[in-house]
Amino acid sequence: MRAQFRSRIRIILALVVCVTFLILIRLYFVQIVHGEAYAQKADRQFASGGSGLFDRGSIYFMRKNGTPISAATLSTGFLVAINPQTLENPEAAYAAITAAASSTLSYNAFLAAAAKKTQVYIEVAHYLSEENGKKLAAKSIRGVQVLRERWRYYPGGTLAAHSIGTVSYGSGTTLSGQTGLEAAYDDLLSRSGDVLYKNFFAELFSNVGNLLVSAKDAREGDIVTTIEPEVQTRLENDIAKVNQRYSSQRSGGIIMDPRTGAIIALATYPTYDANNRQNVNPSLLGNPLVEHVHEFGSIMKPLTLTAGLDAGVITPQTTYNDTGCITVNTARICNWDLKARGVIPMEQIIVQSLNLGAAWVATELGQERFRNYFTTLFGQKTGIDLPNEGRALFNNLSKPQQINYNTAAYGQGVAMTPMQMIRALGALANGGVMVHPHLTSSIRLKSGIERKLDWSKTIPVFGAKAVRDTTEMMTAVVDEKLEGGKAKIPTMSVAAKTGTAQLTNGQGGYYSDRFFHSFVGFFPAYNPQFIILLYTNDPRNVTYAADTLGSAFLDLTHFLIDYYAVPPDRGFATTTPA
Amino acid sequence: MLNFFHRLPYSVTSLCVTLVAVLVIAYIGLIAITMSYAALTVEFSQSVRNNEAVVAALEQQYFAAMAHIAKTDYAAAGYVTPRTKVFVPAKSVTALR
Repeated sequence: MRAQFRSRIRIILALVVCVTFLILIRLYFVQIVHGEAYAQKADRQFASGGSGLFDRGSIYFMRKNGTPISAATLSTGFLVAINPQTLENPEAAYAAITAAASSTLSYNAFLAAAAKKTQVYIEVAHYLSEENGKKLAAKSIRGVQVLRERWRYYPGGTLAAHSIGTVSYGSGTTLSGQTGLEAAYDDLLSRSGDVLYKNFFAELFSNVGNLLVSAKDAREGDIVTTIEPEVQTRLENDIAKVNQRYSSQRSGGIIMDPRTGAIIALATYPTYDANNRQNVNPSLLGNPLVEHVHEFGSIMKPLTLTAGLDAGVITPQTTYNDTGCITVNTARICNWDLKARGVIPMEQIIVQSLNLGAAWVATELGQERFRNYFTTLFGQKTGIDLPNEGRALFNNLSKPQQINYNTAAYGQGVAMTPMQMIRALGALANGGVMVHPHLTSSIRLKSGIERKLDWSKTIPVFGAKAVRDTTEMMTAVVDEKLEGGKAKIPTMSVAAKTGTAQLTNGQGGYYSDRFFHSFVGFFPAYNPQFIILLYTNDPRNVTYAADTLGSAFLDLTHFLIDYYAVPPDRGFATTTPA
Repeated sequence: MLNFFHRLPYSVTSLCVTLVAVLVIAYIGLIAITMSYAALTVEFSQSVRNNEAVVAALEQQYFAAMAHIAKTDYAAAGYVTPRTKVFVPAKSVTALR
C-alpha cells in the first residue's frame, strides 16, 4: 500500500516537474526569444498606436550665470484615436473630442474617418493637455481611445529656431533631427528602443551587464549650447526691426566670443515658430548664416589692410595717391562717392572706406601673397557644429587678372558665409588667430557625466602688431565717423567697419541700386569679449550700411556692456550729448 | 544510489515537493516583483516627464517675458531720451585711444 502510494506520488511529482519545465521553456521563449515582439504588442495596447512613446534628449540654452534653460525638450499629453468598428455615435464623440482638443479633424473629415469600418485605429487629435486628456478619458466613450503621447517642444518658439533645428520623419519612418543642432547631434539626442517598462526576466537572463553599466547611457545624452537666451532675444528683435523697416529680403546677425569661438547668439529673419511648422516655407528651415554665401563689401577692407601690414608691404604711416577712380584690366573701379582724396595715409582707407585704397594694398601685396592670406582665411569650412555648411567662392583669385584681386580687396567678386566672415574678422579681435566657432559647449550623458567639448583648435593668420594697427583704425570709425562721432562711447573703445556691396544681377554684372549691407564691430577694442556681425540683404530706399545697421549695432553694444557689466577700458570725458 | 536516499533523514518525495513548492513560490514572487517594478518604472518615468513638461511651460513664460521686454517701445510708453549721457569715469586699462 505504502509502496503503491509512493509510486503514485512520484508519478505526480514527475508530472509537476515536467509541467514546471515546460512553463520555464515557454517563459524563455516568451520573454527572451519573442520578447521584443510582445513588447511592441503591449505598447500598441496601452501606450499608443506607434511602437512606443517618443523620447529624445534635451537641448539647453545657457544663461550668463550658468543656468541652463530648455531650448528643446519634451512635452507630455494625450492623443485621441477612434475605432470605427466600435464607435457608436460619431456626432457625440466629435463634440466631446473638440471640447477637449485645441485642434482636431474637421467635422466632415471626422465623419469620413468614422465611416471606415474596416479600420480599428485612426488618430484624430494630438497634443491634448494632461487635464483635458484625463477629462476626455473619464467620459469612457465607446470607440474613442485616449492614449498617452509625447512630442518635441521648443519653449522659445521662434527663439534660435534656425540653430536649434527641427525633428521630423524626413524620408524615413522614425522621427529624427533634420536641421540645426537636432540634426548635427542626432546620434546623441536619439533614444533607441527605450520603453517604459523593463523585461525583468530578459534583463536577468541575458543582459545583467547592462543593468549595472548601460552602453546606451554612455552614448545618449543632452547638449548644452553657448547661446545666451536674453542676448539671442535682443539680437532677434534688432534684426527683425531692421528687416521690417527696410523691407529687406533677409537679415541676420551673429554675436561671438572672439577668444573662444563660442557663439553667444545668432539670428536670421524671417524665421518660424518651431512648434508650429505646418505652413512654414521649407526654404526657411535651413540656416542661411552657415549655408548661404554673400559678397560682403567693405568689411573685407580691414582684412586686406591687416594682410598688407602683416606682410610688411605697408605701415600705418604709408601713404598712397587716391585718384577717385582707376582702370584695371579694362574695368573701371571707383570709390563709393567717386571722389579723389589725394595723398592720404592708410588709416583713411578704413575710416573713409576707400575702395581704391584697398585695391592699392592688394596690388602692393601681390597676387600670390593675397591669395595665400585669402585661402587661409576662407579656404576651409569653419567646422561649426551645424549641418550643410557652405564653402566660400573665390575661384577668381586663381586667375591672373589683377582686377579680381583689387575687387576682392574690398569684398566684391568673392563670397563667403556670414559664419566664415565672422571667424575671419574674429582674428582681428583675437591677436591674429582664428578660432573654431561652435554652438555647443558640453554634452550631458545619461550616465550623469558632463563632457566639455574641445574647440581649442586655432589657426594663426596675422601677427599681433598688424592686428593692433588695424584695430586702431577701426576704433576711429566709431569714435569719429559713426553717427558723426555721436556713437563714441567715452569709457569703451569699440572697433567697427561698415560694408555696402552691390548685389549681383545674375548676368555677370551688378545692380546699381540694390545692395547687401554688412556691419562688423568688436569691443573692448584691444581686449575684445564680443564680436558682432550684422547684415541685411537688399534693403529698400537706403544706400549705406551705416544707416540700416548702425543703430542696431550700437543698441547691441550698449546692451552687452550693461548685461555683462563689461568694465570700462578707457577714461575720456564722461558726459556726452545724447 | 538507493542506499544514499535511504540514508537521508527525509524522503525523496518530500524533498521534491518542497523543491517544487519553493520554485512555484519563487516564480510567483518574481512575477509580483516584475509587475511592481514595471508599474513603478512607468509611474516614475511618467512623473519625471510630467515635471519636465511643467518646467517647459514655465520656461515658455520666461521666454515670452523676455521677448515682451525686448519689444517694448519705451518712447511709445512715454519715456523720453535723456539730454545727456553720463559715463562712469575710468582709468584707461587696455585702450590706446
